[in-house]
Amino acid sequence: MATILVVDDEPLIAMALEAALEDAGHRVTTAANGRQALEKMAGTAPPDLVLLDMMMPVMNGPAMLAAMTADPRLRATPVIVVSSLTEAKIRTLTTGFVATLQKPYTVHEVLGLVEQVLGKVAEADNLG
Amino acid sequence: MTGVEEIERLPTGVPGLDLILRGGFPRGGIHILQGPPGTGKTTLANQICYRHARAGQRALYVTLLAESHSRMLVHLGTMRFFDPARLPEQISYVSGIGALAADGLPGLITLLRREIAAHQAAIMILDGLVAAEDSARSDTEFKTFIQELQAQAGLHGCTVFLLTTARGEAVPPEHTMVDGIIELTDVRYESRTERGLFVKKLRGSDYLAGRHAFHISEEGLVVFPRIEAAFRITTRPDQVQNGRLSSGVEGLDAMLGGGLMEASVSGVIGGTGIGKTTLGLHFISQSSAAEPGLFLGFYETPLRLMQQAARLGLDLQGVVDRGHAEIRWQPQGENHQDELAHQLLEAVSSRGVKRLFIDGLGGFMESSVEPSRMSRFLSVLTNELRVRGITTLYTLETRDVIGSGLEMPVGGISSLAEGIIALRFVERHSSARRLLSIVKMRGTNFDPALREFVIVEGKGISFTRSFEGAEELLAGFAREQTARPPSPAAEGR
Repeated sequence: MATILVVDDEPLIAMALEAALEDAGHRVTTAANGRQALEKMAGTAPPDLVLLDMMMPVMNGPAMLAAMTADPRLRATPVIVVSSLTEAKIRTLTTGFVATLQKPYTVHEVLGLVEQVLGKVAEADNLG
Repeated sequence: MTGVEEIERLPTGVPGLDLILRGGFPRGGIHILQGPPGTGKTTLANQICYRHARAGQRALYVTLLAESHSRMLVHLGTMRFFDPARLPEQISYVSGIGALAADGLPGLITLLRREIAAHQAAIMILDGLVAAEDSARSDTEFKTFIQELQAQAGLHGCTVFLLTTARGEAVPPEHTMVDGIIELTDVRYESRTERGLFVKKLRGSDYLAGRHAFHISEEGLVVFPRIEAAFRITTRPDQVQNGRLSSGVEGLDAMLGGGLMEASVSGVIGGTGIGKTTLGLHFISQSSAAEPGLFLGFYETPLRLMQQAARLGLDLQGVVDRGHAEIRWQPQGENHQDELAHQLLEAVSSRGVKRLFIDGLGGFMESSVEPSRMSRFLSVLTNELRVRGITTLYTLETRDVIGSGLEMPVGGISSLAEGIIALRFVERHSSARRLLSIVKMRGTNFDPALREFVIVEGKGISFTRSFEGAEELLAGFAREQTARPPSPAAEGR
């Protein structure tokens, strides 16, 4: 079981992801934009994984990733960018993510990628 | 003396719409795009955003809808105007649902204000105004929201579009406050439907009122300004034209007093199979570099027309190959009459057409969902063709093949034309014979005689003899003249 933070301004998307990830046995919190997500991560242990939208009000995905990269406490937290943008486009906007998932996606795709990323993180931890 | 100041416009780039709006929406205002689900509001709003993104501007698309941005983008992916490279720098999609749910309308206005500023948006779309209205605790709170939005839009030079479904209220409160209201409809006419666009309000600006048909294709919305409104005043002044154009039929030009008058409209009427299209093939085969031609047909494919012309000995293929004539086939189906008319005007303008044959007016009539418009529609369309210097010949099929009546399918048609050429079958010696007569040719000393003609392979229409006795003709029993007097028109030549 992992702790996962879902950051998406569309409540229905965030809720659907939350439900799917909880059904898969993860502990999930949500935030409606980058600023809210950073506030939720402040003062608590960073999540094991962040699912991050790109286009959001208040603070968008690239701005949040930049803030995480600048914060030594959050720098190592793996981020999957979940967006309607293509991976090539995302790479022109930001860095610091471990994978991308293009919207719209199926539950099978998102759970598969989450497990894959968490598995790699665990493997790296074991090696380290 | 102070001059009238022009309002700065935001062109939509939507074909036809800017003509209706006299150049576009007033810039910096708030405009409502309303209509039932599926009528094209989201497509229209996005089309405007991408048009301005291409011009280097930025747009912000805020949704209060259940439909996710990703679903919307998937649907937009089928449109040619959609350009994912514009995301997110020039067009950004954000949700306002969270802000509205958490802090109501004050929370939403704060979000909109910040996002307009952060994105330096020249255009903002708020999709799902109904959700904002539903969350208002009173009409006053909703009006205040609109007023604040208006102030923010003005402050940032941002043009705002509010997308909403019409609720059937007499006058929703926001309608009195906004600068423009566009309504989109999709109305059923018997077994077909037709999309329509109305401008209900456009503060400080003239516009083409009434319903304008549109369709949604992969190009997005394409609007066809109602011909009667768009060309009520012709695009250029009328000019006296004294030239004549040959009909292409030997002997007919003499009957016409020297040919068809330049920049005139004439009808060829008659029953099925009498030779109306054949006459048109003669007319268009006369096309040249100086007199480019266009054959607009609804019934026969270009291939069949070419074959028919070749059988008649007419070099239509050569004329087309040389680029002097074009054959456009518009198959009958669910056409829009205004679309057909706009396509026709575009086609004649693009090639500088001087000879136009429309086979026939029935194609326009069949395409109309509002037959009561037809007389005015054709009147305005033919006026526009005249001022563009085009000599038009159209066919009109009458119901009677052999008989005493000459019934026009639509009232007022004959008054549209300077000339009417009637083609009739008459019965003689147990066989059907073809007759041609010129019923009217305004301002011309035409030959009113009844002439028998035949359609001959390798030659086309060929006159044989005159007939006398209109009563007999109309009864279908014409009598041959014993001695043919010279016609007044032919005499002088």
